[in-house]
Amino acid sequence: MTDHDATTLHILNKHPDHTRFRACLDAMAPGDALLLIENAVLALADVAIPLPEVTYALQADCEARGLSAHRPREVEQLDYIGMTHLTDRFPRLISW
Amino acid sequence: MSATQLIVIDTPPYGDWRGREALDMALSLAAFDRPVALLFRGEGVNWLRPGQEGSAISQKTVSRNLGAARMFGVAEVYADSLALERFAVNGPDPEAEAVVPNAAFYGDFSQVVQL
Repeated sequence: MTDHDATTLHILNKHPDHTRFRACLDAMAPGDALLLIENAVLALADVAIPLPEVTYALQADCEARGLSAHRPREVEQLDYIGMTHLTDRFPRLISW
Repeated sequence: MSATQLIVIDTPPYGDWRGREALDMALSLAAFDRPVALLFRGEGVNWLRPGQEGSAISQKTVSRNLGAARMFGVAEVYADSLALERFAVNGPDPEAEAVVPNAAFYGDFSQVVQL
């Protein structure tokens, strides 16, 4: 039994200007969560992007891009193990 | 006097190779004494963000690549001030700053085209 019975984890690796980035945000339903990886973590610094309430980011990608020390937005940053555990808590996953 | 060639980088620093290839092209031109300028705009301004650690994803940190631009003689480096604001890049990376001492920041593209 997961603690997010009917919700979805959206895994996004597209940079903010990619069309699929906006499509992912539009597809999110109440209770869903967003996990930003690779170039999607740039959204943490992008004032033009409203992020959903439950948003996570992959720590390694944030570090590479200088977004760990300088945290424009407070978002939980996960390591690879944390990311794996997160995917275990959702009945549905979508990789964008 | 040959015309200055402007190389535009508007893709994020990691994730694909287009930005690195554009920088390599600028360095090659500069190595053959061709006047070259670099322009970071859109998501490309993320190249200039301080505190990058490319090793976290087993890649080279791009601001160190930028270090070569000065050595090769890249004359001018520009960055889009609106994009710097959008992505909260508050000033070039100190390491990159050694490369970008004369970085001119501009408001819109037409300013650069007239240079």
